[in-house]
Amino acid sequence: MKKEEFTQLNETVYHEKLENGLEVYIVPKPTYSKTYATFTTRYGSIDNEFQIQGQDQVKVPDGIAHFLEHKMFEEEEGDVFMKFASHGASANAFTSFDRTAYLFSSTRDIDTNLETLIDFVQNPYFTHENVEKEKGIIGQEIRMYEDDPDWRVYFGLIESLYHQFPVRIDIAGTVESIQKIDKDILYRCYETFYHPGNMLLFIVGNVEPEKTMELIRQNQGKKTFKELPKVERFYPQEPEGVGKEKSVIYLPVGIPKCFMGFKDQTGFVQGDLWLKREVEMEILMDILFSPGSAIYQKLYERGLINDGFGGDFTGEEYYGFSIIGGGTKDPDQMVSLITDELKTQGSQGIDEELFALSKRKKIGEFLRSLNSLEYIANSYTRFRFADTDLFKTLDVLEKVTLQDVNQRFKDHFNFQSFAVSVVTSKE
Amino acid sequence: MKDLTFHSQLIEGIQVHMLPVEKFKTNLISVHIHLPLQEETVTLASLLPHVIRKGSQRYPDMTAIQRHLNELYGAEFYVEVSKKGEKQYIVFQMEILNEQFISEEKLLLEEGFAFLGEMMYSPLLEGEGFAQGYVELEKESLRKKIEGLIDDKMRYANQRLTEEMCKEEPYRLLAQGIKERIPEITAEQLYGFYQEVIQSYPMDVYVVGNFAEEKVLNLIDNYFSRGKGEKQTVPPTDYGRKGREENLITEEMDVSQGKLNIGLRTHINFAEEEYLPLMMYNGVLGGFPHSKLFTNVREKASLAYYAVSRLESSKGLMMIMSGIESDNFDKAVQIIKEQLKMMVDGEISDLEIQQTKAALGNQFQESFDSARGLIDFNYLGQLNGNVRSLTEMIQGLEDVTKEEMMDVGKKIELDTIYFLRGKGEEK
Repeated sequence: MKKEEFTQLNETVYHEKLENGLEVYIVPKPTYSKTYATFTTRYGSIDNEFQIQGQDQVKVPDGIAHFLEHKMFEEEEGDVFMKFASHGASANAFTSFDRTAYLFSSTRDIDTNLETLIDFVQNPYFTHENVEKEKGIIGQEIRMYEDDPDWRVYFGLIESLYHQFPVRIDIAGTVESIQKIDKDILYRCYETFYHPGNMLLFIVGNVEPEKTMELIRQNQGKKTFKELPKVERFYPQEPEGVGKEKSVIYLPVGIPKCFMGFKDQTGFVQGDLWLKREVEMEILMDILFSPGSAIYQKLYERGLINDGFGGDFTGEEYYGFSIIGGGTKDPDQMVSLITDELKTQGSQGIDEELFALSKRKKIGEFLRSLNSLEYIANSYTRFRFADTDLFKTLDVLEKVTLQDVNQRFKDHFNFQSFAVSVVTSKE
Repeated sequence: MKDLTFHSQLIEGIQVHMLPVEKFKTNLISVHIHLPLQEETVTLASLLPHVIRKGSQRYPDMTAIQRHLNELYGAEFYVEVSKKGEKQYIVFQMEILNEQFISEEKLLLEEGFAFLGEMMYSPLLEGEGFAQGYVELEKESLRKKIEGLIDDKMRYANQRLTEEMCKEEPYRLLAQGIKERIPEITAEQLYGFYQEVIQSYPMDVYVVGNFAEEKVLNLIDNYFSRGKGEKQTVPPTDYGRKGREENLITEEMDVSQGKLNIGLRTHINFAEEEYLPLMMYNGVLGGFPHSKLFTNVREKASLAYYAVSRLESSKGLMMIMSGIESDNFDKAVQIIKEQLKMMVDGEISDLEIQQTKAALGNQFQESFDSARGLIDFNYLGQLNGNVRSLTEMIQGLEDVTKEEMMDVGKKIELDTIYFLRGKGEEK
């Protein structure tokens, strides 16, 4: 087991790669009463076309990674939630574009709960009946999101930005697409993506690293796994420019919602460069769109925005996009004001003092976020999957320069890759 | 785990609650002022902190505020208005990095108090009132916020249920205020109201983090003040009102998913002995994934994605919520009523009790890891006149019996069923 200390952060990371390929990370927090653990596979909604070496290439129904996540909780002996509940653990899971994570938090019986987590994820149990039954439940989850204007405006934008890259497909799929799912396809996805060699176990909280690692070694040592399958994932080539410039969706809302955004042109990126982009975009979005920024003030004074306004960047290995906006009485005016400002500020460059202040803010914000065990586990895993290290963020933040951020401004805010999404009431 | 209890004392009319604890990377200062939830003042109180947040004499606009907060390593200044029972409360909060994490000499904790003091006690004025421009912009922003409540259908349905159920009680009011009362508010009137609030309504100041208590008392003395005049007392919440004979309200909207919300009166308040059996009752019924509602409405009948019950512990209400196909209304109501009947009849297994005790115990234990969780729980006790420690709650839970839960069940009355159904669908 390797130990890495980050003295400036007052954090220590223990790491081991087990024989079966599973990566295990432990961050002890002896002063906390709880422990939070996530068991994550590099498999999300964008992985909808793949091939195991020696088998046929398959395209799977939209929403299947999420469907699989739901179905993992059912075992032959019953619902895993029951097992967690008996030991005071609160369990959950989520599926994103790139990952599926299973998790629990608890303040006692950590060893038992940890084994429950590992065991249920490594023990799929799908039957025709339990798959059919789940369609009603997930159908209602999809309906719930259909009524959620924040979700709709978000997806409206991604759908517009991308021609065909599967990030534009709703993570849960549609009520129609999930009808095509059966137990055989679920098993096929499971076999492809849930091998320990494709997964990462992260534990943070009130644990003794050596003891916990030994428990995991023992648990995994007792099980046999096939060889790690050689999987090729196919992502369509995304053309330049946007799929469409504007999306408008009608829903009963009190005030229209408007998001605008840019498709990042970086292309495939990982490791140090990924982290650098992450940090530069964070600073950039903060300087441009946070409360008190020039754009924010102008919008506020014209009554064009509410408290919820902001800018955000999502960047993963294969794709990236920014999202700017919130509730507004006049989407067109909001977009045109921001567009003009971005063009002016882009040619002037970022002010040096604002840059230094934003950097300082981001340093404080990063440290503050480490109060949250959930943040540590989820972000560490995300960064690890991008082949970098969450705890290096502080270092990169301290080193980033004004020139870097100005260059990033030019690269990212390209009006050839720009779209707008609006959700508004009829009439 | 050692108990974390606040050290409380009254200084100059301010209730100060301090909790020195080393585990967080930040210090949290939270100022709470509460007042009666009532028609005449609810909208003023809701508007007030948002006007104050926009500028002070020293930091006259968001740009100046944000600049200063960035200098303090991205300290976060946050305001909120909410209600517990029939008490409305205003929160001013400052979260600021612990000095040990920065290399320069800067008294961050003191800066935090100084900033809060500046914002709360030196608001930006014009003539006899607050700065006119901010008042008008924030009035508009508040109007949009209230109109925007409809965007979150789950929340909207819950508010509509509350309005119907508590038609003749102050609890019907939104903590955000009454939209129709916004236009009449003037900058002078709001300033007059502010003086009354800041000087004479009960103020609680919480400080959680790594600090010396002496120091904090000095800072409060230096930066906060109170009027010398008479202090207001706020009447307790009335939670005794009899429920009515099952009131059914159905409304239509253009939604994909119907929202079924059922309101019950428990006649039990947080301060009472019976509150613990009530928590257990709610937990077994619908608090968790192992509970009756989740198991029966979702897992067995496949009718919903969510089916839960929640307590409003000051007003003594229990709200059951589920999202369903509009056609499944009768089926869902029937299953929910069956679960309620089982609770009264004592059809509760030892396993359900054991799991619920474990899950609730875990929730309380997890609060120890969140500065905000610790504050919220203490404040709930302050507002209801019975401050209990989390440890007391955890121990008390263990002793709850099935009979006590059944007794609680007999007191609970179903008051109102509210259903938001999709437009044009037949029942």
